Amino acid sequence: MRALHIAATGMSAQQMRVETISNNLANMSTTGYNTRRAEFSDLHYQQYARAGTVSAADGTVLPTGIQLGLGVRPAAVSMILAQGSVSETGGDLDVAIEGRGYLEVILPSGQPAYTRDGSLKRNGEGLIVTADGFPVSPEIVIPEDVRSISINGAGEVFAYFDVGGAGELLGQLSLVGFTNPKGLEALGSNLFAETDASGPANVTTPGENGLGTLRQGYLEDSTVDAVREITELIEAQRGYELNAKVITAADQMLAATTQVR
Amino acid sequence: MENAIYAALTRQSGLMREMQVVANNIANSATTGFRQEGIVFSEFIARTQTGPSLSMATARVGITSDRQGPLTQTGAPLDLAIQGEGYFLLDTPRGERLTRSGAFSTTPDGELVTSGGYRLLDAGGAPVLVPPGAADLQLAADGTLSTRDGAVAQIGVVRPVDPLGLVREDGVMFVAEQGVEPVENTMILQGFLEGANVEPVSQIARMIEVQRAYELGQSFLDSEDERIRNALKTLGR
Repeated sequence: MRALHIAATGMSAQQMRVETISNNLANMSTTGYNTRRAEFSDLHYQQYARAGTVSAADGTVLPTGIQLGLGVRPAAVSMILAQGSVSETGGDLDVAIEGRGYLEVILPSGQPAYTRDGSLKRNGEGLIVTADGFPVSPEIVIPEDVRSISINGAGEVFAYFDVGGAGELLGQLSLVGFTNPKGLEALGSNLFAETDASGPANVTTPGENGLGTLRQGYLEDSTVDAVREITELIEAQRGYELNAKVITAADQMLAATTQVR
Repeated sequence: MENAIYAALTRQSGLMREMQVVANNIANSATTGFRQEGIVFSEFIARTQTGPSLSMATARVGITSDRQGPLTQTGAPLDLAIQGEGYFLLDTPRGERLTRSGAFSTTPDGELVTSGGYRLLDAGGAPVLVPPGAADLQLAADGTLSTRDGAVAQIGVVRPVDPLGLVREDGVMFVAEQGVEPVENTMILQGFLEGANVEPVSQIARMIEVQRAYELGQSFLDSEDERIRNALKTLGR
């Protein structure tokens, strides 16, 4: 009785969809978060009668065969890459990326990771770090006695010491691009790591190569659309119930079978 | 065994298969580009040695519905949906395959691939290549894919020469054993995905129908069993 198992694959697929949706909704206010979407694909098919099988002695062939599918499987959970809206924060180290680039950070292990979360801070040594304290690459140190900091669209960080004085260039933030950003591996904490699927990191200057520019004093919002997620949630829940109905019906058919002596 | 039981059994096993098809349709109701499947019962006539021939039912023909599935806007530039007839052509290690599932992504080399990693082919049968790092991918309704620097590829939409000869494969793909031909006048939409064209209401209705028909068949077998039992009892007395 395969209908039972097929409906079970359907239920677990819908469950995974709900899990993806709940993760999206939980990250509604996460800076730089991209909506994830669960994608499904059908399982393989059992051939009962192959199309083209000879069905009579005079050479007549079956125009179509019988193929029975065995259910559904999750194919991917992919990021929907889109620019989130930016909101003003006024923070002098908040930068929003307007474009498809990433900031590079150095993990404690020395490995690079990439993020779109531009809520940067400075640590005890004046180094520009992420909210988790990982230094941003290239490393930029902000002197202690600085009055104000300005970051321009190209990522150049200027420090101002005196009222009316000229700015001193401290360094330049870079943006990193990938051929297939969907292939990045999510590490949590808004960080991503490079994989074979994403292609190698391509470090550029903001404003060049179409990777976007930086905007100081703004942060990129999450791209989660609550209305769409709730609609999907309703769909997933009803889909789950439909599959549960199939299990009940298949069970009753089995019960009918066992009642025959 | 009696002929009546044989005839009922063929019906029962066919209904079991149909239940499996319904279950598969419902399980795939969230699968992008999935096409609903149906089964048709046909008569199978067997010659008997005595008396008239015996008519039995077999579940024989699988039909693939080619109704348009619902289009959902996703906004992702590499989510493509075909509005109207036709399929995308894919390159797999086992040969060319057709699909309606248009959630593509790029490889590091810039080739457009499905979630299964199979390459999308253009109208000329060559893999669709997007220059790495190209921004602002735009797709015209006729399948012309362009970047800021101009057109890069023409995505092909094909249909099988023999629509009934489509063989299903996992990964929402079809094999067209009789070959394919290009489709004119079809639209490809960017930023949309086509959902499964499963109609839940008709599938649930069909499921109930199958279940009741199956129970009817079982009670028929039951009473047939009773009849033979009574006959044996009476004759053996």
